[in-house]
Amino acid sequence: MTEAVQNISQPQIEAENLSLWYGEKQVLKNISIKIPRNSVTALIGPSGSGKSTFIRCLNRMNDLIKNCRVEGKVLIEGKDIYAPDVDVVELRKKVGMVFQKPNPFPMSIYDNVAYGPRIHGVNKKDLDSIVEQALRSAAIWEETSDRLKSSALSLSGGQQQRLCIARTLAVKPRIILFDEPTSALDPISTARIEDLITNLKKDYTIVIVTHNMQQAARISDYTGFFLSGELIEFDQTRQIFHNPKEKSTEDYITGRFG
Amino acid sequence: MGLNSNTNEKIAFSLLTLATIIVTGIVLVILAYIILNGYGAISIEFLTQMPNRMMTAGGIFPAIIGTIALIIGSMLVALPLGVMAAIYLNEYAGESRTTWLIEMAINNLAGTPSVVFGLFGLALFVKYFDFGPSILSASLTLALLILPVIIRASEEALLTVPNEYRESSLALGVSKWQTIRYVVLPAAIPGIVTGSVLSIGRVAGETAPILFTGAAYFLPRLPDSIYSQFMALPYHLFVLATAGTNISETKSIQYGTALVLLIIVLGVNLVAVVIRRHYRNKLKI
Repeated sequence: MTEAVQNISQPQIEAENLSLWYGEKQVLKNISIKIPRNSVTALIGPSGSGKSTFIRCLNRMNDLIKNCRVEGKVLIEGKDIYAPDVDVVELRKKVGMVFQKPNPFPMSIYDNVAYGPRIHGVNKKDLDSIVEQALRSAAIWEETSDRLKSSALSLSGGQQQRLCIARTLAVKPRIILFDEPTSALDPISTARIEDLITNLKKDYTIVIVTHNMQQAARISDYTGFFLSGELIEFDQTRQIFHNPKEKSTEDYITGRFG
Repeated sequence: MGLNSNTNEKIAFSLLTLATIIVTGIVLVILAYIILNGYGAISIEFLTQMPNRMMTAGGIFPAIIGTIALIIGSMLVALPLGVMAAIYLNEYAGESRTTWLIEMAINNLAGTPSVVFGLFGLALFVKYFDFGPSILSASLTLALLILPVIIRASEEALLTVPNEYRESSLALGVSKWQTIRYVVLPAAIPGIVTGSVLSIGRVAGETAPILFTGAAYFLPRLPDSIYSQFMALPYHLFVLATAGTNISETKSIQYGTALVLLIIVLGVNLVAVVIRRHYRNKLKI
């Protein structure tokens, strides 16, 4: 790690010696990382290296998996999210997540975006503007403004994924986790989502898991390389791609395995 | 084997088609038989009047009302209870020895003969709770009978709701119960409705469970409360066809009663189809 990464002060996300087991199997080994505010961090590594599992620790989605055990600390804005007094529901409002497969609810476009705020008790009259705002920020307002009442399932895959991003934005999170958000999309849709992520950086802290190395290089400020449950290397993206410290990082990004 | 795959294919296709034709044929023959024999008995009077002259004339109005009361009564109890149990088992319970035992118990309940339910209803509702032979006792007994069917159907329906819906709702900071209430249940309703309708057919058609719990042999007036005894179509049919005062004279009334029973069940099915379609359209494109 270069000094630039070690000296990140007041990180928005911080993991300290984070380990995770599914039953007997250890999936994450002593992960320590500091992720600064308003940046895009890409996590790369072969399948099964633990990168998706890691981001699912940041909003405690792993709680859903039985026999899952976590040790170590995860601090979001300085607060340990695995402390016993933490309200997981509140945590997930702050830390949004966009999944690999576009998965809008079987409802109208409007209702999809309004779903979160509505349940969180937002006033009916404020809802319209929240929905419009979220759809605009997710760069899908132009395509949907005249058909908000039609089913979200009538949209194309790429549109559905942007709608899912809008749905996440509507809850007003501070951090957004992307779990391979473009792996099910065509190149044009992928490019639009990448532009969108770059734009969202102004207002959000973004962590993205990707299998696509070019994508990591294009959109991220920081890159972490995972291998067999360990965070092998974490640094500025430039460093990782041009001057990796570890042999295995270099092997992976040059395509020698993975 | 001597046969090539093409011939095999033809034989399998013919056998399967034949089976379908036989099954459909049997249903059609039964339907046609009941309709042909029964439609002559159907009239406004038959549907709206009390039976008279020792049940050899008059109508079947109280039996129609009785059967409808049983459908409503048992559904009011079994539907919420069954759906809630299914939600618990599918969404909350996880896999454990206890859950396995509960599932086993439900399976066994589904296989229990209906006359056993009748005796159980007699002991528990009629005697122990002292509801007497009544609509209440019979409805509760029928509710127990169909509970396993509704739980099973609801569980199946909940299982078909993709996990991604649950995950993405939870990831929006929505609690588990709200996720179930606003995403999972709406998506499962078409399946729950379909399964429940099957049980309505059973409620309308069962005789044994109501035999000891409230069905009257002959009662030429309408029930005035849930504690009243009542007449019901299947039991009325059974009485007319076996113990009636004049079995051969009432033949057309018997078929008429069967036809009305059939129409009620089909009618309920139709309502279910409409509900299902309504929800499907709301969910899909």
